[in-house]
Parts: sequence; structure tokens; C-alpha cells
Amino acid sequence: MMFKLNLSILLLLLCSVNTMAQDPRLLLNKVLVKLSQAKNYKAEINISVDLPYIKMMPINTKLYFKQKDKFKIDTKSIAILPKQGFLQLNMLLTDTANYTAIQQNQQVLNGVKTSLINLLPNNDTGDIVLAKLWVDAKNQVIIKSQLTTKSSGTIITEYTYGLQLAYGLPDVIKFIVDVKKFKIPKVLAGDLNTTKSKKVEKSSGEIVVILKNYEVNKGIPDSTFQ
Amino acid sequence: MLLKSTYNELIKIAYKPRSFIGIGGLIIIISIVLFAMKVDGDLYISLITGQFEQSLTFEGTILNGNLIAFIIIQMLIIHVPLLIAFVTGDLVSGESAMGTIRLLLTKPVSRSTILLSKFLASCVYTLVVILCLVFMSFVLGKILFGTGDLMVLKSDGLIIFQEGDINWRFFYGFAIAFLSLITVATLALTLSCFSENSIGPIVATMGIILLFTIIGSMDVPIFDNIRPFLFTTHMAAWRYFFDDPLNTTNILYSVAILVIHIVVLLAIAFYKFNKKDILS
Amino acid sequence: MSTQEKIVEVKNLVKNYGSFCAVQDVSFDVYQNDVFGFLGPNGAGKSTTIRTILSLIRPSSGTISLFGSSLPENRNYILSKIGCIVEKPDFYKYLSAQKNLELFAGISGKNIKKARISELLEFVGLNGREKDKVSGFSHGMKQRLGIAQTLLHNPDLIILDEPTTGLDPQGIIDIRNLILQLKNEKNKTVIISSHILAEIELIANRMIIIDKGKTIVQGVVADLLNSQEIIVGFTVDVVEKALLILQKSVFATGEIVVQDSIIMINTSKENIALINKLFCDGGIGVSSIETKRKLEDYFLKLIKA
Repeated sequence: MMFKLNLSILLLLLCSVNTMAQDPRLLLNKVLVKLSQAKNYKAEINISVDLPYIKMMPINTKLYFKQKDKFKIDTKSIAILPKQGFLQLNMLLTDTANYTAIQQNQQVLNGVKTSLINLLPNNDTGDIVLAKLWVDAKNQVIIKSQLTTKSSGTIITEYTYGLQLAYGLPDVIKFIVDVKKFKIPKVLAGDLNTTKSKKVEKSSGEIVVILKNYEVNKGIPDSTFQ
Repeated sequence: MLLKSTYNELIKIAYKPRSFIGIGGLIIIISIVLFAMKVDGDLYISLITGQFEQSLTFEGTILNGNLIAFIIIQMLIIHVPLLIAFVTGDLVSGESAMGTIRLLLTKPVSRSTILLSKFLASCVYTLVVILCLVFMSFVLGKILFGTGDLMVLKSDGLIIFQEGDINWRFFYGFAIAFLSLITVATLALTLSCFSENSIGPIVATMGIILLFTIIGSMDVPIFDNIRPFLFTTHMAAWRYFFDDPLNTTNILYSVAILVIHIVVLLAIAFYKFNKKDILS
Repeated sequence: MSTQEKIVEVKNLVKNYGSFCAVQDVSFDVYQNDVFGFLGPNGAGKSTTIRTILSLIRPSSGTISLFGSSLPENRNYILSKIGCIVEKPDFYKYLSAQKNLELFAGISGKNIKKARISELLEFVGLNGREKDKVSGFSHGMKQRLGIAQTLLHNPDLIILDEPTTGLDPQGIIDIRNLILQLKNEKNKTVIISSHILAEIELIANRMIIIDKGKTIVQGVVADLLNSQEIIVGFTVDVVEKALLILQKSVFATGEIVVQDSIIMINTSKENIALINKLFCDGGIGVSSIETKRKLEDYFLKLIKA
């Protein structure tokens, strides 16, 4: 009797482990399906930049997106975004056939249980060398991503969700980017009389994008993206 | 009598061919720059943003009238003083060379009034040059390239000013640029009092500006003590208005140095002009 | 001494340029309605003196008063009553004749209307050329424009520094007539400097001759030039014999100088015929007789030097 009970418990545990250690592709697929629900959306965004070598005030502008890769920031103001910004993650998720997904351990980020999935490219022709995704399995959204690229170094992205959780659309995106040391001739810069240049210690910075007033699946003409 | 004398001086400046050469040259240079930026402005922008484009992208209208105006002013900071000196260096010595100084100084107007009127006329001419610069770079730039945020390139990074935060910076920037050009005009006028020909004061003025600029840009400790007092160090003070945060101490210091230069140079000019024997 | 009002009073004027003394202790007076001749060779100090009066040059010492007011304290008041041409009349070449006059009219201290400018341009014979740039003017035209400029504000004293330089004979006559007109019809006082005695003689009533910065002679022209004593030059065939005859005569009291075959003797007009008869009676052939006024001779020597 005892043995049967222990076996049942063991089997239950094994099933649980199996359930928890589900195929990472399946999880990513669920995330993708969720994101695909938003065929198009626009949102008002506020972009704040805290990068070495760059000083600018936060700007308010509009963002437009349409499946599968139409994206536009509608701004006359100068906005700075990471090169590996909004689109790349979406494209990455749809291209998972070109990557091997490896489930890593589970981590808790900001009080949320996440599954860490590593994506390794199957060939070395692409720009991305390694992608790490922290996925909230319960809500099928990505809480954090870390993309290591050949051209842009490492970019870490943190997502915070709110009203648009159902579509997997975040309220806040925080990008942590590497910035190379800035060097430009004094004559081009016009600092003719500056003999001492300030030393900048940091080599990385943040770009925080706050999204609000989403309008999802209301229709956006293609002409908007021209 | 000061008003009438100043009016006379303005007429003389207005009718002198060299005045038009100066302003005409400015218009041509700026037109060429505007054309070049219209054709290849994006390439110029990439020189600035290229430093960051490995990890960042820049959205929005970077190449706009505000940036064009900034680039033009920065480009012409060496050239415009020459145009000013070209006209103001001739105000006294040109009269000596022409012989009209004899007639002028036998009129019932004090020499101080005559010199002051020449100074005021040179200020008006400088203002006309600045306004021409403003119109060609700022107004025409905005017509051709539109408006937008201003990206200012410094040797230690970028500052991006939002559109609504720019006009007042340009206004004060132009004001301080005007003050620095008045300093150049005063220098040329003062040197003009010591000469009987036009070329000498003009060449001397440019030579002094060049020498002081070289001293100001050399990283030699021996010059560290004199650099803050050279007027050329403060000729680019208009750029302080494109700093964030605004360094009001630097701005006020630059204004003070320029004003002191103007006052001292004028004092020398007045002394020399009142004392000199007219032998030509 | 004239009982007229003293317009110009220069006392012990000195001007040094370093160790060089351009004007040494020059004193003279100019009276109302005078045409005052200022004579001297080039470099004598005429221009320096005139420029000092016009406050273009600061004197090293001495006093200058005009219209009862001293320089430099009352400079503007004095200059408002003076019209002048100093050396050659120079104008703004890139401006028209009219524009030039308008500029100078504006700072003359008086309200001068455009009609006055037109009137003066016509007076000096430049009507029809008022819009032309001065760069295209001949020297004579500039001189005439200079005269117009001088008269713009109807000055009491007119100072003309070598006004006939570079003019053709008609131009010289025109200037001369103008000066006489200013004196006689307009009751102006004129100071005119020149190195040509004949010119001054024709128009000036008083004059001063300076050389190397010093006063040589000054006074009323009639007194200075109409002196009875003259220099007479006899061109003779036998100089020694002629000299012997002269020395035995009563005319030997005068200064006698021999230059080649010319015997120059200081004497009076009345003695010319008598000396000629003496030579003829002594068998001396006289081929020519030349007379010069003593002052003119002296001045010519200065010029040649």
C-alpha cells in the first residue's frame, strides 16, 4: 500500500516536472500567439534617454505597428532608440526555427516566476549571437530579454505589463544598451577653447519607453508606414 | 550733432563697395552651404550619429532648419569677423588715405563725436551682418529644411534640444555673437586710428584674432593664465547657450570680458584720435 | 594798424616734430575783410600753420585766437565760422557731388537746405554734374566742388591752401575773381596760401612770407611790394668799364652785384634812365634793362633754393 502511494507520488512529481520542463518552443509559441492577436496597434509613447555622451529631454510621440514587420515612430522630434529595439524580438520569435531553444532554470524577476530560455542560432551568419528570454509562463509574456549581437553588443530589455497584458503589449519597456566611447575631432565639434574633456565612466545607459493609450486592432493604413 | 554725424557715417558705409562685398560674400557662402546641406546633409548627419549607430538609431527630423542655422554659425565664426574688420578697419584710416579726414575734422564737430559716430555706425553695420546671417541661416534654413529638434555636437557627446527650447537660445546666442563681433569691430576701428591706410588695420586685426585663437587652442600650461582674458576665447561664447545645463557664470564672464575689451579699445581709440596730428 | 575787427590772432606759434622745428615763433594777425596772403616756398611751414589754425595739428606752443575765442577750447564755435580747403580738395569718390555736399552740410552746424547746395553747385559751374560720382571728376572740377563745400554754411572766414594748384589759366582767373567777389561783395575774410607771389599780389591786401618755419616779412602788400627801391639789371658789353663808371658815380651807394654780363644794382625807378645815360656817355653798350622788385627777387631766390 505504502509502495503504491509512494509510486503514485513519484509519478505525480515526475508528471509535474515534465509539465514544468515543457518544450521551450511551445512556450515561445504561446507567447507569439498572444502577440499575434494584436494585428495592428498604435500607442502614445514617452521616451526617456539616460545614456553616456547624450543629453536630451524626454519626448512624447506616437508609435505604430502592423503585423508582421511594419513599425514607425511618428516624430518630428529626435528620438533615440536601441538598434535592436521593438521589431527584433518579434522577428526573433517568428524565426525560432533558425534557433535552438534551451530551457534553463527558473528565476523570479520582480516577484514574477519566469522561465529562462536561451536561443542559440543554428548558423553564425546572423547578427544575433545569443538571446536570453525570461518568460512568464503563466501570462505567456516576456518579462526580460538579453540579446547579444555582433554589431551592437548586448542589449537588455525589461518589460512591464498593465492594461494590455491580454495582447502581450507592455506598458513600460526599459532598454539597457552598451555605448562605445565617443570620439570626435574638436574642430568638428566646435569646442575650440576646450582643452580638457570630461571623462565619462559609464559605457552603458538606459532608454525607457512608456506606452499608453493603446489602440489595438483599430486598423492602420499601410500609407502610415511610408 | 552725434545723430547727424552717425547718419553720415552710415551713408558712407552704405555706399562703399566693400560693404556690399562683405555682405555679398556672406550671402554667397551661406547659399553654398544651404545647397550642399540640401544635397548631402544626410551624409553630414551620419558623421555625427555614426558614432552611436552601432547600438542606437535616431528617429525624427535631424536635418532641419535649426541644425542648419547652428552649423552655419559655427562654420562662419572665423569668416564673419574678417568681413567686419574689412569695413570697420577702413573707417578712420580710409579717410586718411582718401584725404577726406582733412575736411571732416575741420567741421564744427568734436573729434570724439566723430569717432563715436563711426563706432555707432560700425555697430549698425555689424548688426546688419548679423541680421543677414540670421535671415540666411535661421529663417531661410527653416523655410528650406523645416523645423525640429536641434542636435548639438560637442567634443564630449551630443545634446539634443527640443524644438520649443531652441529659439530663445538662438536669440541670446546671436546677441552674444553680436557682442563678440562688436569687439572685433572696435579692435579694427582702434587700429584704424593708428594707420594712414586701410589694409594695415584689417590685416592687423585678423593677425591678432589668428594669434589669440592659436594661443587659446594650444594645450600649453604657460598659456593657461592668459587664455581666459583673451577676447578670442569668448568669441565662441554664443555656444554656451547650447549647453545643458546653462552655465550662466561662463556666459556672464564672457560678456564681461568682451565689454571690457570694447571699453578699453574705445578708450585707446579716443585718446589716439583726439591727439593725432592730421598730416595726410 | 587797422581799426577793423581782428579775426585771426596767431602769437608765437611753434610746432616741433621731434627735433625738427616746422614752425618757429610765427605771429600774425588777420583783420575783417582782409585777403591775407600766406607765402612761402614748399616746406616753409605754411600748411603746418594753416592746419594748426584749423585744429588739425596741435601746436607745441603759442596761442591762436579766432573771432575773439581761443583754440582749442572754442574749437567747434570757431570752426562753425570757417570754410576751408586744405591742400587738395578730397571728397568721397564713391559718392556724387551732391551727396558729398549733403554730408558736409549735415555736420556744418547749420540747417542747410538742398536748394542751397544746388545754388552753390551752379555757382561753381557744376550744375548738371551733381549726380556724378566724384571719382570721375577732373582736378579742376574737384577744386570747384571744394569751393562750393567751403561756402556751404556761409562762413565768415575762408581759408584756401594753394587753391590754384593744378588749375588751367582760366581756372586760376576764376578763383581769383571769386576771392575778390567774396571780399568785396560778401564782406568775407580770406586767408590764401601760395608759393606764387604774383597771384597774391593781385588779390591780397596783407601778407606774410615764411621760410623754414620763420617769418621773413609781413605787412600790407602795397607797402611791401610798391617800395621805391628796386633791383635793376643792365646787360652791358664791357662789364669792367661799366663797373668803373658806376663806382665813380653817385649811384654807387646802392648794392651792386655782377652776374655774367649783367650788372644788378639796388636803386630807384627814377635812376634807371640816368644810369643808362651814364653808360652810353662812357661808351658802354647796353643791350637790355631788367627791373625786379626787391621783395620779388628775394622770394624767387627762396623758391629756387
